[in-house]
Amino acid sequence: MTAVAHVAPPRSLSTAVHHTLRLMQRSVLGRLRQPAALAPSFIFPLFFAALGSASFQRMSKLPDFPATSFLNYTAAGAIVQGVLFAATSSAGDLATDIEQGFFERLLVSPVTRTAIVIGRLGSAMVVAIAQVFVFLGLFMAFGARIEGGVAGFIGLTVAGALLALAMSGLMSGIAIRSGSPEVVQGSFPMVFALLFLSSSFFPRQYMTGWYKTVASWNPMSHIVEGMQGFMNQPLDVDQFLRAWLIPFGIAAVSIGFGLRALSNRLAAQ
Amino acid sequence: MSNSLVSHGGNPFSVSSALVRRTMLRVRRMPAAFIPSIVMPVFQLIAFSGAFGAAVRLAGVKNAMDWYVPLNGVQGASFGAMGVSFGLINDMQTGFFDRLLMAPTKRWALIVGPMAGSIARAALPLALVILIGFAGGMNVPGGPLAIVLVVVAASGVALSASAFALGLTYRMRNMGAATLTQFAIFFTIFLSTSQVPLSNMAGWLHAVARVNPMTNVLRLARQGLLGDVTWNGTWGGLVALAGMLFLSTWFALSGLRSLEK
Repeated sequence: MTAVAHVAPPRSLSTAVHHTLRLMQRSVLGRLRQPAALAPSFIFPLFFAALGSASFQRMSKLPDFPATSFLNYTAAGAIVQGVLFAATSSAGDLATDIEQGFFERLLVSPVTRTAIVIGRLGSAMVVAIAQVFVFLGLFMAFGARIEGGVAGFIGLTVAGALLALAMSGLMSGIAIRSGSPEVVQGSFPMVFALLFLSSSFFPRQYMTGWYKTVASWNPMSHIVEGMQGFMNQPLDVDQFLRAWLIPFGIAAVSIGFGLRALSNRLAAQ
Repeated sequence: MSNSLVSHGGNPFSVSSALVRRTMLRVRRMPAAFIPSIVMPVFQLIAFSGAFGAAVRLAGVKNAMDWYVPLNGVQGASFGAMGVSFGLINDMQTGFFDRLLMAPTKRWALIVGPMAGSIARAALPLALVILIGFAGGMNVPGGPLAIVLVVVAASGVALSASAFALGLTYRMRNMGAATLTQFAIFFTIFLSTSQVPLSNMAGWLHAVARVNPMTNVLRLARQGLLGDVTWNGTWGGLVALAGMLFLSTWFALSGLRSLEK
């Protein structure tokens, strides 16, 4: 393994971009080749959305409900849920690469180090964009409307991609630090808590007590509410600030965490 | 373990009780595998009553805990089925199950043991869910009988789910059986009156929940928390539990027979 340190990674930007794209492609193909691993990130959000819209449709008739139907309300939550599930699963693949030795083979090749992480994050963004397309297509087929029009659709797509970047940065950092798929899966309850202790499934104004306080502090509530704005209201700067800027800020920190984890792993070798 | 089986001369009840002890021993030796089945029902109780509380209050329920304690109690009890499936797969892989098959005892003892073990596994999550319900202001207009009915419903679901898990594991003989068990239980529970009463549902879910036996089981479990305990609110749930238990036990026994062929 000492030989790893002697292989000087290429410095040219175009080579780095090329490596990133190839590793991104590999990661996307890896996801597509494991439909059983990818399916839950599509099935569960759609199931919960169908369940919610059939169970809570009556709530949408209340005068202060933030959407015209529960289906319209729940679309953003379903996208967020799918993106978070997929990001966790993608990081699990990275940990599997480490566990099975593919990661070390990458290190002995002259591949750009950052491409190993950025390629994985890029693939999470590609999957997230596909999820937004599939989810919105299905929701619209069942009668949902994007009130923000084409710009709202773009707003949702970019928000989904940025959230994927943020979460997969964090999860990839955990994967690289631990090198264990079990540890990555073990962090899933954190994702679950982030989702449920937010307004992803139900409007915040109907919550009460400490639960409402926690949901109000949870950044996921603000991200999902920005995305719900694209679905249910005319375009507004506030929607972009919440749905784009918050995940962008989290992404900046989480990518730093992921790269730092990579750097520490390289130093340890 | 094998010594205790032999020393009892294959008495099926002794074999079953030894298998229950074995289930609990596995819980003690692998707490990491047991902890999620405690944490998840408790977390879901808090999350559902916090997030969806307004929806059930709109349906006339005084406190969201009255609606969600029975749901999460039943769900927590059903998680034991995954443990049963994992345990059986482990026994198959290590060859211990072959030794059990050679034991001079009734075959049903090999099914009743893990099923009873699932009730033992369900006890802690169920107790925690009920305690948190009380802490959250759960109403009990039906008195102590209300809690008894929650326990009856949860125990019945634990037994049925574990028998189903055994039947599936005997047939599949791999980890996929545990995953499929999880999916089957998840969908059966959530496609019922899990979130809101039937009267508040719309479209396809109303049609599915109306014929889902879990709706009757949840009605049985909830009645004492929402009002008085009546025979009218009880018999449907008991019939549903008996039917689920009969079918799942038959599924487990036929699976065991197919395994031996």
